[in-house]
Amino acid sequence: MAEGTPDVKEARRMLAKGICIAGVGETEQGIISDRGSFELLAEVTKTALDDAGLELKDVDGIVTAFSFVESTLMHSTTLADYMGMKPGYFASVAVGGATAPLMAVQAALAIDAGLAETVLCVRGDNTRSGISSSGMLAMAREMSHGAYEAPFGLTTIGGYGLLAQRYMYEHDIPQEALAAVVATQSEHAALKWNAMLRDVVTVEEVMESRWIATPFHALDCSLVSDGAAAFIVTTAARAKNMKKKPVYITGIGEGFSHQYISQAASVASVRDGLGRAGRRAMEVAGITAQDLDVAEIYDSFSFTPLIALEGFGVCGPGEAGAWVLEGNAKLGGKLPMNTHGGLIRQAHLGAMHHIVEAVLQLRGEADDSAKTEFNGGNHQVPGAKLAITNGSGGILAATSALVLSSEPPSAA
Amino acid sequence: MSEKPAYTKPLPDLRPEDATFWEALKEHRFIIPCDDAGKPFWYPRKYAPGTLSATSWMDATGNGTVYTYSTHFMGPSKAYKGDPPHIVALIDLEEGPRMMSILVKDEEGYPSLDPEDVTIGMKVKLVFDDVTDEVTMPRFTPAG
Repeated sequence: MAEGTPDVKEARRMLAKGICIAGVGETEQGIISDRGSFELLAEVTKTALDDAGLELKDVDGIVTAFSFVESTLMHSTTLADYMGMKPGYFASVAVGGATAPLMAVQAALAIDAGLAETVLCVRGDNTRSGISSSGMLAMAREMSHGAYEAPFGLTTIGGYGLLAQRYMYEHDIPQEALAAVVATQSEHAALKWNAMLRDVVTVEEVMESRWIATPFHALDCSLVSDGAAAFIVTTAARAKNMKKKPVYITGIGEGFSHQYISQAASVASVRDGLGRAGRRAMEVAGITAQDLDVAEIYDSFSFTPLIALEGFGVCGPGEAGAWVLEGNAKLGGKLPMNTHGGLIRQAHLGAMHHIVEAVLQLRGEADDSAKTEFNGGNHQVPGAKLAITNGSGGILAATSALVLSSEPPSAA
Repeated sequence: MSEKPAYTKPLPDLRPEDATFWEALKEHRFIIPCDDAGKPFWYPRKYAPGTLSATSWMDATGNGTVYTYSTHFMGPSKAYKGDPPHIVALIDLEEGPRMMSILVKDEEGYPSLDPEDVTIGMKVKLVFDDVTDEVTMPRFTPAG
């Protein structure tokens, strides 16, 4: 492993404590109109605790996100109260789609600082069924500048569209490349027990769906869903007596390029800004993109994973479209991507499900064939040992990435 | 001035530091902010991005080039229902900064330019669209 910069060495020092994910949980996803936001969070907490072989009293830290339905400025402690916890560490993270990996980082920092030993990271919401009008407004306004973008009728989809269309122009990317991301992930979602969309779609079907904002058709866009997911972060020493084999966090990284899309300097600068998160996470882990077995890449739109694959160094600039069209992102391909279907086919809960799926992959538990009541199938990447996962908030504005490994960091 | 239907699209959220820009637009003058070295930037702020230096305003030509665009077939709110698609674009101004606007057919403002008439790299010029008695929106239309 290359020696690395002082800050990379510091990150390695922390992760060498064997900081790991000891349990995961996910609820059904989709339209769940009979359960409220906190109810979903409590339900998935029970699932994750059971997965780890823990009880609620074993958890001394809680990291949550935010809700579009339950208006609280103290989300983590409101949930702690709801569940009857007295955590010694609590934080609510709110950086849009980058939130989930940042929750894991927050948990790691708390454990390293001795503030907590076992941290519940949980996010969920009934965004689809229960959203309030103020929540809807907040969601619509979140991405755009109130004076210099929103009054021009910009949508979030169109904001991504601006960047995607410039990317396609600069690199001569065909519309088929975007559609291939969706088609690939639809094959994976068909196997994932709780994916909202289970039908397999073709490149042609994606391109025939109605336009929303160029270059995106309806099927290029992510879902709006109800549901929850959770993961429990602790140390290898604590995880030793738990039920499941721990999955180690061996790399962490963040990258920022702009907040408002009109402030993005260029396609290259956006690629570099979000790419920094993944490149740095891999540097901390002491690996390269070629070492990865599986990639759970944030996919708010079909274009989103393309520029991330390039930023992370899986492909060269402008090459990800052809790479996906060649089938490299499929199960059985060079680097299977979004093996759960992602935000486009499974559900939208930021990057929570990307982390949960990566953990299941590295434990060898991504075969849902036994879940016959959900018509599950096998989406396991055989022998997967190393995964990258990321989330991006805003319009590729802020990115956080994790490298997860079935083995402890080499320095541990 | 021709009779226009009431404008129902969102109006800009204004902070105190935005007043000078929108007051100038109302007078059909287009100004952009610059830092203490005279380098223009976008969007308007009281302190210059990167240095937090003092800022001032400079006249801008309103000439620009389409950096990218996205044709919106669905607007962000009910106010857009039934409208033809609108084209949101990022415009590289001749002076350097890049700003967002929509592309319109002519100086009358809305409705939008025909999506088939837009290309990345096309030259555009700013037009003033008096959408209400108080607010003038900057729009761009094909140059020449």
